[in-house]
Amino acid sequence: GLSSARAAEILARDGPNSLTPPKATPEIVKFLKQLVGGFSILLWIGAVFSWISFGIQLAQGAESAFDNLYLGVVLALVVILTGIFAYYQEAKSTNIMASFSKMIPQQALVIRDAEKKELPADQLVVGDVVEIKGGDRIPADIRLIFTQGCKVDNSSLTGESEPQSRSCDFTHENPLETRNIAFYSTTCVEGTATGIVINTGDRTIIGRIASLASGVGNEKTPIAIEIEHFVYLVAGVAISIGVLFFIISVSMRYKILDSIIFLIGIIVANVPEGLLATVTVSLSLTAKRMAKKNCLVKNLEAVETLGSTSIICSDKTGTLTQNRMTVAHLWFDNQIYSADTSEDQTTQPFDQSSPSWTALSKIVTLCNRAEFRPGQENLPIMKRVVVGDASETALLKFAEVILGDVMNIRARNKKVAEIPFNSTNKFQLSIHETDDPNDKRFLLVMKGAPERILERCSTIMINGKEEPLDSEKAEAFQTAYMELGGMGERVLGFCHLYLPENEFPDTYPFDTDSMNFPTSNLCFVGLLSMIDPPRSTVPDAVSKCRSAGIKVIMVTGDHPITAKAIAKSVGIISATSETVEDIAKRLNIPVEQVNRREATAAVVNGMELKDMSLQQLDEILCNHSEIVFARTSPQQKLIIVEGCQRQGAVVAVTGDGVNDSPALKKADIGIAMGIAGSDAAKNAADMVLLDDNFASIVTGVEEGRLIFDNLKKTIAYTLTKNIAELCPFLIYIIASIPMPIGTITILFIDLGTDIIPSVALAYEKAESDIMNRRPRNKRKDRLVNEQLAVYSYLQIGIMQSVGAFVTYFTVYAEQGFLPSTLLGVRVDWENNAINDFEDSYGQEWTKYQRTYLQWTGYTAFFVSITIQQVADLIIRKTRRNSIFQQGLFRNKVIWVGIFSQIGIALILTYGLGHVTALNFTPLRFQYWFVAVPFAILIWVYDEVRKLFIRRYPGSWWDKNMYY
Amino acid sequence: GLILLFYLVFYGFLAALFTFTMWVMLQTLSSDIPKYRDRISSPGLMISPKPDTALEFYFNKSDAQSYAEYVSTLRKFLESYDDSKQSQNINCTPGRIFDQNDVAVKKACRFNLSELGQCSGKEDKTFGYSKGTPCVLVKMNRIIGLKPEGEPHIQCTSKEEGMVEINYFPPEGLIDLMYFPYYGKSLHAHYLQPLVAVQLAINSNSTKEEIAIECKILGSPNLKNEDDRDKFLGRIAFKVQMTE
Repeated sequence: GLSSARAAEILARDGPNSLTPPKATPEIVKFLKQLVGGFSILLWIGAVFSWISFGIQLAQGAESAFDNLYLGVVLALVVILTGIFAYYQEAKSTNIMASFSKMIPQQALVIRDAEKKELPADQLVVGDVVEIKGGDRIPADIRLIFTQGCKVDNSSLTGESEPQSRSCDFTHENPLETRNIAFYSTTCVEGTATGIVINTGDRTIIGRIASLASGVGNEKTPIAIEIEHFVYLVAGVAISIGVLFFIISVSMRYKILDSIIFLIGIIVANVPEGLLATVTVSLSLTAKRMAKKNCLVKNLEAVETLGSTSIICSDKTGTLTQNRMTVAHLWFDNQIYSADTSEDQTTQPFDQSSPSWTALSKIVTLCNRAEFRPGQENLPIMKRVVVGDASETALLKFAEVILGDVMNIRARNKKVAEIPFNSTNKFQLSIHETDDPNDKRFLLVMKGAPERILERCSTIMINGKEEPLDSEKAEAFQTAYMELGGMGERVLGFCHLYLPENEFPDTYPFDTDSMNFPTSNLCFVGLLSMIDPPRSTVPDAVSKCRSAGIKVIMVTGDHPITAKAIAKSVGIISATSETVEDIAKRLNIPVEQVNRREATAAVVNGMELKDMSLQQLDEILCNHSEIVFARTSPQQKLIIVEGCQRQGAVVAVTGDGVNDSPALKKADIGIAMGIAGSDAAKNAADMVLLDDNFASIVTGVEEGRLIFDNLKKTIAYTLTKNIAELCPFLIYIIASIPMPIGTITILFIDLGTDIIPSVALAYEKAESDIMNRRPRNKRKDRLVNEQLAVYSYLQIGIMQSVGAFVTYFTVYAEQGFLPSTLLGVRVDWENNAINDFEDSYGQEWTKYQRTYLQWTGYTAFFVSITIQQVADLIIRKTRRNSIFQQGLFRNKVIWVGIFSQIGIALILTYGLGHVTALNFTPLRFQYWFVAVPFAILIWVYDEVRKLFIRRYPGSWWDKNMYY
Repeated sequence: GLILLFYLVFYGFLAALFTFTMWVMLQTLSSDIPKYRDRISSPGLMISPKPDTALEFYFNKSDAQSYAEYVSTLRKFLESYDDSKQSQNINCTPGRIFDQNDVAVKKACRFNLSELGQCSGKEDKTFGYSKGTPCVLVKMNRIIGLKPEGEPHIQCTSKEEGMVEINYFPPEGLIDLMYFPYYGKSLHAHYLQPLVAVQLAINSNSTKEEIAIECKILGSPNLKNEDDRDKFLGRIAFKVQMTE
């Protein structure tokens, strides 16, 4: 090996043997982005204006100057606090993922200074000699110089699910194909090998793929686009109303300074300060709920992306299937029996009375080298760990389920000789003593490729009797074999022979090398076929996807026949649909003559895909509703994803291998497998499926759709009161009445009373079966559409304003200022020098007494908005159904919201009513109820709206009133 | 089109509803007396004339133009106290609250201008401004139902000792209890609030200097004059600067 000194030199030159992590945005940049994103810019402008007017007023020596300073500071604080909050939320959800990327430090056995040493794998350099054995991860790209039965699992790299054998021979020009190279991050399944490191770190094949993945651009999530759209809309309204009223107030001869202060008020009233934080909280609540259902979301916004997904490109192995071979069918006595393939089988229902089955079961049990790891007696059979290859494991578990203790049966039928399976013989053979003490014969059992087994047989067992194997029986065998093979199953044949006692006495020396025993003229017993069966939850999940308008496309490296069989059994290809080939076969015409549009299903081979133009691919994706891509290389997955995206679809992609990472990244939402997935796949993905189960994706879709609906409700709820906050400013400017509500008070609504209720809407249950409608159209179904804005702003918002103004006028009138007196008093009212301001009854008020009354007005206005927001919260529970259909008490969190809302208002009014800076005053109890009739009106009006929407779908009312 | 019609009806309905609820609310109110008076439990003080710029008097005693506005303001203010305007007012018993709760038509007590002595404007048409003895009228804000206790009187002090000598009309700045309580604009139409004239005899050495004066209402336990936040509750501060 290398000397330590030389190794250190190369290490210094090449760097450590590890992949450079994708370039992360610096934390400070992430934080600053939060500070300027969304509405923050508007609020900064408000703060700066406040400080400017503070400066000007201070220079003029006005007493009220400091109010503006404080307002500016409060606005800046609001921006900074919401920024910190959003940053924290984002960081929290990223941290969940960070735990994934932390890998256990890998060790490698290296020969250095002519000594074997355990070194951390990242210390490896080119030229090091490393030793690997079964179970190890390959620590770098290595060229093998010595191997012994070495097999590697390249599935994470190439998608081939079968272990590949490795030797020292150079067999192919292409490094991916040649047998003498083992790749970084793949695993050695069995055997041992020694090799020389030829590439380390980012220069390894995996490293190159990983850098390819980071080259694929990350697109904006649908919800990010929606929120951006919403921010533009609200900011547009805020700025245009602000500027409009700035112009109006200037032309009404208000001072420029006053006009600027009005502008700040209008901006603050218009911007839902708490909303973006609320959206973040709602998304993270959903993310948590999804995590419970085994969908771990890496990027909060991906929560909703899943909901708008219209195409899912799913892997087969492990995602749709159980990722373990299981016996699916049996053939004996000229009959095919099906076996139970579910995950938690405890018995097998097929008819086990035939003596042929007894014989077959004996072969299955004895001619098998797989064994359970000891100490698992308490585990269900299906969950036990087995030492042995996939088919043998399947057979072992199958036998254990039916016969019970297999190991005991094997012990009673002592094995005297054995020939393990090899690729030249294509059979496995063993010879046993029987467990019948009166039967001194040896039993020879054999299993293997069915045609090879049949060749060696001269008889066949029918109902326990050996019958000669004539052409008719051979025909029956062929039919069964074709049928099972056509189902994409791996078929094995089984035969046996009782060796005559006289020729083979107790002491007969069996020699497996010279094969001093018969291996032909055996008795054929039956066939068993195995498949990696679909997960039992998958067919249901696929049909849910179908009714939810989501197209499920299977992309697999497997053989088309197997792929199609699984696709059929899970419903990706439905029972009635046919591929072009099926139609051709049925009509007995050449494939070329089939009208391609008649075929709803398509099975596309990777080889065909390679030669296809983009248009041809688009055509396939467009014309067929049920598509399976088989024998695809992982690189082709990217092409398929891009094809789907060209159709305007929101594409979800599942993947586990490193080579899937470009496709995962390219997809609108990449879903990595939590169990089988490689770290690279998890890094590239937006979501990790903890149980690798396709059905979990469907629950994720449901949650995603629900949160989209609920965010709509949250936004509608939040936007409504903005009008009730804005109107006071507009009327104040136009009618010159005393200010009805203060800027600080508005912030207390936006960031105080309204926060918990708007989050509570995220807990709302779906109104109808959201999995029965099509995925939303990215371009048409906006989060905030015109109807939502108009209904919130121009209808409910105005109703709220009216209610609040009635309270405001009531408070002033009962204190002596009748509404008629209030009009046009603004200038005198706010004049500090006027301390004998006369009310409607001839009483005189000092400035402070008026200001205190004004604060009482703020409080009353605030309380009225709060009370009406309770009604607003209740009506927002549903968009179409009546509240009574939805249930008023089903969502308990809504009630937490309502109580918190009223509680906060009570605390502000009575608890903090004496803190001058907050501009709250204790309020007479009856003023809490002035707005109640308006709150009830809001509820009734909305019920009527929903009733008409339900009654007259598609009508003018429905089009204009449904948001 | 339909949209416009809808909003016309919708807003029409809301406007009607607003008007109706306001009307109902106004029906619950009395036209004589506000429902609540807790926001003005204690009266503020105010002066007349009230300069435009804060409460600061600047004038030149030899330049009639410089104080013309003060004089005309005072004159206008005192017009309603003219004897001719007080023909319906009655002479009440001094020193006692004039309770008229049981009477339907509330009488107003006469306030004789002569009580303001040199500040009544009768002898000196310039209210002393031309002589360097400017008058300022101090009045207490009207509050319905307010009944001062004790012997309320106005007392003014100057921060700077010896710059100014202060005289009160009526003597000692007394505010007579007979002018209380006030029954409100509609019931008590001819009501005149009692005035206290404060004559500032500015020391001839102290011309050109700004003299800060604070007047307070004293002698009545239920009239506040020390509120931290309300600088005009039972007190008033102003500045006078006279040149020659």
